[in-house]
This record gives sequence, C-alpha cells and structure tokens, in this order.
Amino acid sequence: MVYKFSLTDPRYRGRSIFAIFNFIFMTLLMACMILPIIKVLSDSFNGDTVYGFNLWPSNPTVDGYVYILVKGGTEYLRAFGVSVYTTIVGTFIGLLLSAIGAYILIQKEMPGNKFFGYMFLFTMMFNAGTIPLFLVIRAIGLYNSLFAVIFPLSMNVYNLVLMRSFFEQLPRALFEAAEIDGCSPYGIFFRIVLPLSKAALASIGLFFAVAFWSEYVHYVIYISDTAKYNFQVKLRTLVIDDTFTFDGNYNASLNTVKNAAIIIAIIPFLFIYPFCQKYFMTGVTMGAVKE
Amino acid sequence: MSQPVQKGNYDHIIVKKPSAWVRMKKYAGFYLMFLPVVVVLFIFYYAPMYGITFAFTNYKPNGKAAQFVGLANFQKLFSDPTFWSSFKNTLIISSVNLVLATVTSVVVALLLNEIQRAMVKKVINTVLYLPHFLSWVVVASIFMLLLQPNGLLSQILYALHLIDATSLEQTDWLTQKNCWRIVFYVIDRWKEIGWGTVIYIAALAGISPDYYEAAEIDGANRWQQTLNITLPSISNTILVVFILNLARVLNIFESVFVLYNSAVYSVADVIGTYTYRVGLKPTVGLPNYGYSTTIGVFRSIVSLILVIITDNISKRVRGYGLV
Repeated sequence: MVYKFSLTDPRYRGRSIFAIFNFIFMTLLMACMILPIIKVLSDSFNGDTVYGFNLWPSNPTVDGYVYILVKGGTEYLRAFGVSVYTTIVGTFIGLLLSAIGAYILIQKEMPGNKFFGYMFLFTMMFNAGTIPLFLVIRAIGLYNSLFAVIFPLSMNVYNLVLMRSFFEQLPRALFEAAEIDGCSPYGIFFRIVLPLSKAALASIGLFFAVAFWSEYVHYVIYISDTAKYNFQVKLRTLVIDDTFTFDGNYNASLNTVKNAAIIIAIIPFLFIYPFCQKYFMTGVTMGAVKE
Repeated sequence: MSQPVQKGNYDHIIVKKPSAWVRMKKYAGFYLMFLPVVVVLFIFYYAPMYGITFAFTNYKPNGKAAQFVGLANFQKLFSDPTFWSSFKNTLIISSVNLVLATVTSVVVALLLNEIQRAMVKKVINTVLYLPHFLSWVVVASIFMLLLQPNGLLSQILYALHLIDATSLEQTDWLTQKNCWRIVFYVIDRWKEIGWGTVIYIAALAGISPDYYEAAEIDGANRWQQTLNITLPSISNTILVVFILNLARVLNIFESVFVLYNSAVYSVADVIGTYTYRVGLKPTVGLPNYGYSTTIGVFRSIVSLILVIITDNISKRVRGYGLV
C-alpha cells in the first residue's frame, strides 16, 4: 500500500508525523555511527597537538601517514604485509577446509557421515580452552609461526555448517549424472559443486577475510616475534604506547599518527565493503532463517 | 516368510544395502579428500582436549615436569575471590549486553521497516552495518582516543559545564570504575546495533502483506498492526536469536580484552581475560598452566550445560536443536 506524505490530510497526518520522527531518529543514529570515524579521519590529517571539536583538520598535513608508511621504518609496512599475507592464505585455506568438510557432510550414504557430523558439532559445544591449545601449538613447533594463527582460525565450524546448508540446495541429480559419466569425487567437487556455489564461496570467503584481517588475540598468544605481528597488533601497541617522540621534522603529533594508523587499518575494508555488502547479507540470512 | 512371486511385479524385491565395507570402498576417494580436514580438526580441536589433564597438575614453565596434584586446582578455584569476581562480571556484562542487544536491534529493525523508500533504506543499512566489520582493536583504538583525557567526550562535557577543567585534563573514561560497564555497553552497541538488525529485517520481509491489508480493512492503525501482527510474527526469530546467544554468554573475551585495564579489573575482568592473565601474561611470577587450564575447564563445562539447556529450549520452541 502506498501512502501519501501529507500533514494536512487527516488520513495521512499521523503516519506522516511518525515518518518525520523516524527519519530524524535514523539520521541521528547514522550520525552516531559515522561521527567517530569522521573525527578519526579528520584528526589523521591534522597536525595540531590540541584536541578540539573540529571535524575538519585545522592544520592539514599528511605527515601522520608519511610517518607510518615511510619514516617510521619498515615495521608498519611489514605488519601491513603480514596482514595481507595471512588474509589471503588464511581465506584460501579456510574456504578449502570448509568446502571439503561441507562436501563430505552432504554425502548422506557415506559410512561414517553421521559420525563426522557429530565430530564437528562437538567442537562447537565443548572446547579445551586457551592454554591446552597454546601447549599443543608449542608442542608441534608452530609457536611463533603465522600458521599458529592461520590454522585454528581457518577451521571454522560455523562457516563449515553454513557452507553445508548452501551445498544441500544443489540438485543431487547433477552429482549422480556426473558419477554415472565416470566423474571422480574430486571431479564432482571441482567441476560441479564449486562452480555452482560461487555466491556461497564469495560470502563465506568474505567472512574469513574480515576475520583474518581483524585478528588480534591469536597473534598476542601464539607469536612473540614482533616481526610477525600484523597491523592490528601494531596499531594496538601504537595507541597504548605513549612513549615515543618525534624529531622536529614532522608536522605531526602522536595523535595524528595514531589516527592515521586507525585509518590505514580500516581502508582496505572500506574499499571492498560497498561492492560486497550483498554477499555478507546472503551469508547471514542464509544460515539463520532456514525453515 | 516368502510370498509367491508374481510375474512382472518386482515390488517385493528389496534391494539389500551393500555391506559397509563395499560402501566404504566406493567412497574411498571421499575419505582421502576428507583427510586434511580431519587432521586440522584433530590437531587444533581434539588434541588440546588431552591437555585438560593439566588441570590436575601444577604445570608451570619452570623446567620441572608437571606433578599430579589431584583436585587441588579445583579447590583453589572455588576459594579464589578473583575468579568469582570474574565469573560474576562475565554473567553481568554478557546478560545485560544480550538484553540490550535484543531490544535495540528489534526496535531499530522495526523502525527501518517503516521506511518506505528502498534507496533510503539501503543507505541507512550500509551506514549502520559498517562498524560491525571493524576489528575490536580498531573500535577500541577509536574510542580510546575519543575518551582519553582532553578527548572529544571530555571536551563536550566541559563545554556543557558538566565537568571542570581538572577532570577535563585528567579523566580517562575507560579507567573509571563506576562507568566502565556503561561505556562498554555503549561501545558494543555502536559496533553491533546495525548488524543485529539483519536477521530481524529478513524475518520482517517474510511477513505476508495480506495480514496488514486485512488489518487495514478492519480499521487497525499502524501501532495496533505492529503490536498484533509484526511482533507476534517475529517473536519466534527473537527467541531463537536470544537462546543462540545465551549459549555463548561465557565466551565473551576479545571485546573486554581490548577495552579493559588494570584500573577497572574489579568491574571488567571476565573469565576469558582472567584465564589469559593467569596462564599467559601474569603480572608477577611464572604463568600457571595448570591452574589456568582448570579455569578453562570449569568455563567449558558451564558453557556445555548452557548449550544443552538452550538446545532443549530450542527443540521445544522450534522443533529442532541449535544446529
């Protein structure tokens, strides 16, 4: 039903007043979401040491970024590289493990199928905790290796179950036809299942990518070599640390550098977010609203 | 036992399922394919379960072998005031957060649903979802800068004459015991309020417009429609989301970990952060692997009980379990 917007017509007045208030509320809510980010963006370009209300740099400079990307040595660039590397490798491994696991779980006739299902399910209900995992990782020699971050995160049972519910919607007849034509399990997986699940792979892949890009805790626990820290850990150290000083060559305060680092941590995501939003949505509604 | 065989009618023939061995051979390729997944799952999920035995030892990285101490760690746990304080904090922070999350997300979803223009709706959605995708480190960094002494919040309060010049220069809002939790709830809502609505918006989109047309004809106004059609239609979804999150209340860790500090341990320390401090980064002495495993085991057992309870509720409410 279409409603006219009118404050004079009594039939539409109540609804129109509500629409105005609703619009004001939504605008305020959006402002709350956006303002902290705008403030950080503005401060990242602001060389002033005095912290003010301004949402526009009063002393514009790019020295904050220059410091992080060039002058601060290579440690930030390296950390950024570690972030990119773990995100790409981790997303790939994560997708592979989830897709294979999901593919096995939809083989209803395979002996042991039910058992495998419970094997995954149990890990969702009970886990040994941080310290035993830490001790295992140290025992197998992965301590201080990036794989100590990549493997535990790429074996994500929630994503695997999500992938399974995507796979379950694929027509079984296709698999059977391929099998009759002599296609191996690998052939079916790579030539039929994966090409038909592009939307699922994109959506779950994005979940993995965001998780790997954002990871902080696993680095702190399993890695002590600072050269292997990702950008999140560097950002954290920078924001907490108040000890470092600048020489006079910079038109930047510590505050400028901190804000610039935050923006650099967000930027890769901001670039892909508008294009990928629909895939994020598919993933969530798919897994949750199953009837 | 056997019935006379009729010509041309094969209905009586029951195809015998091939034996498990034959079927396993048929699926040999699949098992091979599955192997890497099993290996990773085993190493990173099942092998640590063996480590639970450390809960009964005094294992510390002091060069000595772990000694069996029986239930001493559990006795220590039950009489450890810091642990009980963290347990209490976990329950309070998680449950208040859960209730706030449910209420705010439902309200915002309902209001979003009232917006007629698809374009406007899309813009609002995009903006509201955005903070969900920022990492906790980024969110914590943003708010640490806004809440620091002389930060934006202090400046605003000072301009409104709510605080004096000394508090302006000295108050770090994240180190105040009496308002840390409120600050935490606000930051968590800032991050998750939009994303929490996704599921409700999907549920709202599934309500048949026929109901509203019928109600319109019967003279129900929009508020009555919301109370009598919209809310009952999504009440099941609300309940499901609520119980799914209920099973996870003890898992809260990263959000607190990046926002708390030693000044607010008494109100902010949760089980996860306490385990971390005991087992990995103690302020004094060696990490205590044995005792922190005990805390982890206790947490996992309580979590498991919560999962079983919520699974039962889930079965009763919607006919199937959590997964």
